[in-house]
Amino acid sequence: MNYHWDWGVFFKPTGIGSEIYLDWFMTGLGWTIALALTSWIIALFIGTIIGVARTLPNKIIANLAAGYVALFRNVPLLIQLFIWYFMVPDYLPESLELWFKQDINPATSAFISTVICLGLFTAARVAEQIRTGIEALPQGQINAGLALGLRLPQLYKDVLLPQAFRIIIPPITSEFLNVFKNSSVASLIGLMELLAQTKQTAEFTANLFEAFTLATLIYFVLNMSLMLLMRKLEKRVQVPGLIALGGK
Amino acid sequence: MNDNVTMIRFNNVNKWYGRDHHVLKNLNLEVKQGEVVVVCGPSGSGKSTLIRTINQLEAINDGEIWVDGIQANSTKTNINKLREEVGFVFQHFNLYPHLSVLENITLAPINVKKVPAAQAKQQALELLERVGLLNKKDAYPSNLSGGQQQRVAIARGLAMNPRVMLFDEPTSALDPEMIGEVLAVMKQLAESGMTMMVVTHEMGFAREVADRVIFLDHGEIVEDTMPESFFTSPQTDRAKQFLRQILSPMDQ
Amino acid sequence: MLLHSVLHILKKKLKNQNPHILEHDMKVLLPLAIAMSLLTTAHVGAEELSGTLKKVKESGVIVLGHRDSSIPFSYLANDAKPIGYSVDISNKIVEAVKKELKMPNLQVRYNLVTSQTRIPLVQNGTVDVECGSTTNNIERQKQAAFSLGIFEIGTRLLTKKGGAIKDFPDLAGKNVVTTAGTTSERILKKMNEDKKMNMNIISAKDHGESFLMLESNRAVAFMMDDALLAGEMAKAKKPSEWDIVGKPQSYEIYGCLLRKDDPQFKKIVDSAIASTYKSGEINTIYKRWFESPVPPKGLNLNFPMSDDFKELIAKPTDKSAEQM
Repeated sequence: MNYHWDWGVFFKPTGIGSEIYLDWFMTGLGWTIALALTSWIIALFIGTIIGVARTLPNKIIANLAAGYVALFRNVPLLIQLFIWYFMVPDYLPESLELWFKQDINPATSAFISTVICLGLFTAARVAEQIRTGIEALPQGQINAGLALGLRLPQLYKDVLLPQAFRIIIPPITSEFLNVFKNSSVASLIGLMELLAQTKQTAEFTANLFEAFTLATLIYFVLNMSLMLLMRKLEKRVQVPGLIALGGK
Repeated sequence: MNDNVTMIRFNNVNKWYGRDHHVLKNLNLEVKQGEVVVVCGPSGSGKSTLIRTINQLEAINDGEIWVDGIQANSTKTNINKLREEVGFVFQHFNLYPHLSVLENITLAPINVKKVPAAQAKQQALELLERVGLLNKKDAYPSNLSGGQQQRVAIARGLAMNPRVMLFDEPTSALDPEMIGEVLAVMKQLAESGMTMMVVTHEMGFAREVADRVIFLDHGEIVEDTMPESFFTSPQTDRAKQFLRQILSPMDQ
Repeated sequence: MLLHSVLHILKKKLKNQNPHILEHDMKVLLPLAIAMSLLTTAHVGAEELSGTLKKVKESGVIVLGHRDSSIPFSYLANDAKPIGYSVDISNKIVEAVKKELKMPNLQVRYNLVTSQTRIPLVQNGTVDVECGSTTNNIERQKQAAFSLGIFEIGTRLLTKKGGAIKDFPDLAGKNVVTTAGTTSERILKKMNEDKKMNMNIISAKDHGESFLMLESNRAVAFMMDDALLAGEMAKAKKPSEWDIVGKPQSYEIYGCLLRKDDPQFKKIVDSAIASTYKSGEINTIYKRWFESPVPPKGLNLNFPMSDDFKELIAKPTDKSAEQM
């Protein structure tokens, strides 16, 4: 295959202002991190609420939460994004709709749509992990809390969630990494995050392999550092014999 | 002991598991303030269920349970308020593994009773001293032996200043050499005048500490008597057989 | 080879000489060039086959790259088989290859490509020739060869008919959409930077989404190749509401992508295109796709042939517009 390799391409001017192609990647990385972290905060917050709701004794609330999970987990992410970006604004009051579509920067409106979409989507996945974590705890932990007169919110806040979170750090780490990867859907509504910048560089330079190799490298380094960070966190909050303890 | 004040009363209590399993059959029972009552019976007799219905960890289907003048099984009762008054010690201790010994004990007083943290801590330290584990206050449960964990669990229950302490087979999960330390703490507690209901097979404890022994079989109270008469002259064949099994299991 | 040297001479003239003289030269030289190229192709058979022709001969299959929604150039309508203006051109190429290799039963296979995959798939031999809506530019010439130009577009604006936008300067401070990775995107960003126009530029993933951004009031105009704008306009709910406006900001020549350094095959491809131009058959093909109802909805793009393209047909070249 007679491909024309040129690794110097990243340092070439883009022809727009004084930027070089590497600047595009850095801008893209900035958007990717901003998207992923914002979405993750939303996902953790809502996911915890939904996950807890799924384990509550109240069947109506538990079923509503299960419905949420089924809905957001089973509709493809891309379709959800198009709904949030293209359909939802049309149902807003007109002034708000125009503000969203025309007054704010298109990058901002794409950002808002993506973090809502990705936040709620990931929340469904986080909720399942939280639920699993809580259900993995021995019934004795709940009974001990109840017997001491802990109210339900106190039981969750002080007894169940601190343990559940520790148990689910490994699966939650992979959800965290997924948010970074999934944030690339934003490129499909015109937000110039890492993947969009990569595609753009590939198109403009025709050095497709170099562009995608660099992007792969950036995603890899990003994910590895996040993984190491989460490992550290896991070690720090580790409680020996957490799961082995307790009984009926 | 105050003979006049009833602390726990069961009126015609019935409980079923599912449709067919009648686990508590028309139980009537009274425990006076300051009384120490041992509940025993063969496995599956319903004794664990019985003690869990008192603080409503298990609901009942029919009848009434009264604790310190409050009906435990009424929907109008704030069950959490009632549970604050009833200490409960589990067979498997159920300490919170992510909290230190001290935090295990202070969690409920601070969060539920809104006791100031410093005061709760002070009381926890006193309780730890009482159960002989002051030096373990900063340890985590997984670093303690079973006997030590159970003593912490007792201290945790006492930290709420309960009117009644319930024990659900507190020594069954322990290695034999640790049973004594737990029973010693319980005995000391009984001597302090605490109302106690204890599900146990420790017949030595029953004989030495209990005011009454209740023998339960197939969800029914078969005998309800003084320890001495229960051990020396059981009235029913079922009790006689149970005592034979439990006192000299090798003869079976 | 001969064709190349003739074109080379032409190009020199183009650069250095009075255009009138050039036009005159052209009329004389072009048929000559084509005749010569046809002559030389006739000789290929005698030579040792190499490159793509050798591969096609041995496998008995030629693989054409196509797009899925570049209306009306190369797209899928009701059939698994692609249709469109560029597909018709590629069929001309196939005919020429059949004739050249004396393989009337040569099999044709279609391979779907995207803007990201087209170059690597041609390079690695999966696709032998890709005719779609691929702009010939210097960057791509490093990776692949281009045939003679098969179309010429200008980059313009699609906007509400009779609205505030008449030309590019009217876009200052507005939201403007274009399709990601296109020359229009680069031009728009450069214009924004150079002229400090303070536009918000949205880069949509494809032309359909770009038009959706326009239709849903997220952008006041959609900058793209005029022929593709006509295609999007024809698909609109009410085509009459839209208009293509503005002075073209660039001209681009579409070409078919081939492997580099494969002169035998390129010669066949170029002569097939040149003879389609020479015979006037190009007018029939053009009319079929740009001035008649086209599948799947039977829409008529009503996009008459531009003077620029007429000029390209008269003076075919495999150079990019920027190199002219």
